[in-house]
Amino acid sequence: MGELAAEKHVKYILSVEKRKDDFQSVVMEHLRMNGAYWGLTALDILGKLNTVDADEVVSWVMSCQHQSGGFAGNVGHDPHILYTLSAVQVLALFDKLDVLDVDKVTDYVVGLQNEDGSFSGDIWGEVDSRFSYIAILCLSLLHQLDKINVEKAVNFVVSCKNMDGGFGCIPGGESHSGQIFCCVGALALTGSLHHIDKDLLGWWLCERQVKSGGLNGRPEKLPDVCYSWWVLSSLIMIDRVHWINKEKLVKFILDCQDTENGGISDRPDDAVDVYHTYFGIAGLSLLEYPALKAIDPAYALPVDVVNRIRLRKKLAV
Amino acid sequence: MAEDAEFEAKAGDLLCQFERILESDLLIDEIGFIHPSQFSKLKEEAGSSKSATSEIMGYDSSDFWLQDHKLGISTEILHPLYIAARNTFMAATRKYRSFCNQDAQTVAGDHLSELSNSFNIVESEVMKHSRALLLLSCDFGTAWNSRKFILSKKQHLSMYLDELLLSKLVLSYFPKSEQAWCHRRWVIKLLVQKGYTVEEILKKESELVERIAEMYKMNYRAWNHRCWLVSYMPREQVLNEVKKTRKWAALHVADNCCFHYRRRLILKILEDTTCTEISSGLTVDIYQMWKEELDWDEMLIKRYVGREALWIHRRFLLACWMIHFVSDPNTCEQEGEISNNFHFFLENELNLVNSCSFIPNDDFEDFQAQATYSGAYLLWLIKNCPKPNMIQLEEKLKACNLKTLLYKVCPEGRYSLWKSLMDSIENSH
Ligand SMILES: [Zn+2]
Repeated sequence: MGELAAEKHVKYILSVEKRKDDFQSVVMEHLRMNGAYWGLTALDILGKLNTVDADEVVSWVMSCQHQSGGFAGNVGHDPHILYTLSAVQVLALFDKLDVLDVDKVTDYVVGLQNEDGSFSGDIWGEVDSRFSYIAILCLSLLHQLDKINVEKAVNFVVSCKNMDGGFGCIPGGESHSGQIFCCVGALALTGSLHHIDKDLLGWWLCERQVKSGGLNGRPEKLPDVCYSWWVLSSLIMIDRVHWINKEKLVKFILDCQDTENGGISDRPDDAVDVYHTYFGIAGLSLLEYPALKAIDPAYALPVDVVNRIRLRKKLAV
Repeated sequence: MAEDAEFEAKAGDLLCQFERILESDLLIDEIGFIHPSQFSKLKEEAGSSKSATSEIMGYDSSDFWLQDHKLGISTEILHPLYIAARNTFMAATRKYRSFCNQDAQTVAGDHLSELSNSFNIVESEVMKHSRALLLLSCDFGTAWNSRKFILSKKQHLSMYLDELLLSKLVLSYFPKSEQAWCHRRWVIKLLVQKGYTVEEILKKESELVERIAEMYKMNYRAWNHRCWLVSYMPREQVLNEVKKTRKWAALHVADNCCFHYRRRLILKILEDTTCTEISSGLTVDIYQMWKEELDWDEMLIKRYVGREALWIHRRFLLACWMIHFVSDPNTCEQEGEISNNFHFFLENELNLVNSCSFIPNDDFEDFQAQATYSGAYLLWLIKNCPKPNMIQLEEKLKACNLKTLLYKVCPEGRYSLWKSLMDSIENSH
């Protein structure tokens, strides 16, 4: 089995940030904030966040904030809860949460909660259980969770549960590993994991592991590195990770590396991208791969970053 | 600098051409990005007949190709075209927004008509450029939003329906575009709010999902949209959908999405069945529907060996049976026949498991998968069995020696899961 080409991945992530010329990278510009989160978190897990100019990133992040308090995916775009979380996470990585007007961001997120406890992604009203997780995590990072109706929020997430133990985007939506991660994360952050039948959900999640060792997102799908993160973190949160074969999964992720130019792809021999590079590295971190910083499965941030935030809260109280 | 200016001029020119084509053919129903080398092939195929592009522009373009309402865009020009579309749209939307703010401040004045005239121009610019941009970058949320903003101030049904056409066009070549699906939901919600009857639209939406699902298998976003539609459907329509999707599902037995959609429909029917309906015997119909689904699924399992989606569907049907027909005392009383069927049900399921757990010597992969799924299904049966029926089940398991079967078919890497499940089941009884 090969090893993690850590240095190459660092180089690759840094190069993506600078490459802005081809069509493939310009059409992704509307979600650059997500890209920043993926790339920077991966760098931090690799212990190389210091290679980035923090002030430059922070001022760019702040230039994406809208007057409503929410953040956009890039300068001049409309705000959305997806990018708002990424912005807060990036600031947390650099220990720069103090540049935020916390009340303003909080107001934005709180304003997106609906009567039934669900959250809209932005003012246009699309509802998705992902947005519930995002809202809850965002407010947790800002120590403002008490500003929303947590009970209703939890009830909505629970209403997205299916008979197979998994969760969908909306009540009655098909179970999907990505959605499951969000729903389990939301329940974990609110101390509501008792709503989950852990054996049942663990069973569904374990069946995502295919022969090659990789995990898929749903039945009958091909394995994909990004699900290493979603399935694995969910299994850890519900304490069922011992039900899968970890060694085989490590091997699968390592097989998806471009050992020459850096970066990780969805499957062996496919083209690499930042998204899968992050999820591959984050997955390896959950698998306790050597020399990687530990990542928190619910916060999706390095454990030391989360601890720093928790400590702040304690000191403030 | 000169180079930049040249790039910009060329890009702006491309955008003009693109928008002219879009305006001159409102019936374009498919767009594709094609490699320049394919252009000559298209020209050859067209023979002496002129392409619609040359008719619109007066010359043969090597950047766009339009014929029979299908538009091809050369991959060579995507980058400059996108840059021009993005910049032009962003400028227009900024202008429009500052107009809106101004408009709110200007209560009345001599220039009102002049103002509203130029306001209308800016508004139509935003609509025009956002369309061009979205056809190039389908998830550019700000562009979709700018359209929502303008539409929310309009009252014309035709404008809303145009949005459905635009997002349909986007989906014709970006079938997974989250924003395009989301835009459709926004339009439908608006129509419902405004009191339009949407039954016909829901029907068409459902058909659209099926067409797109045909192009791109296991498209989560598309099927999620279809699941979303169900909450707006009247009962008749739900029943109809159950009938209509059966054939498609049977032809796509690996597409778990379609089976999930059927589950969504069945649950919706169960949900909407009130107590009065239960006592009036409507459950017999529902029971009938459930039984048909179970038999149909068994037929498919036997025909298409080793398909995970079919077994997952069966798990659902089993759990559904346990919840709605076995443990509900009301139904038991009303439908004595149904509850007595537990014995037959069990017999049938165990037979199925038994026959599917057989692995022929030639070690065919599909049969191995089938055996694994049947074993997991047996576990599922044991886990979901209601307490009062457990003794009956235990006897059966012993008689058929089914626990050894479990160990036989358990795949490598699932031992710890299956063992834990067995242990926890045994401990709970
Ligand atoms: Zn992926």
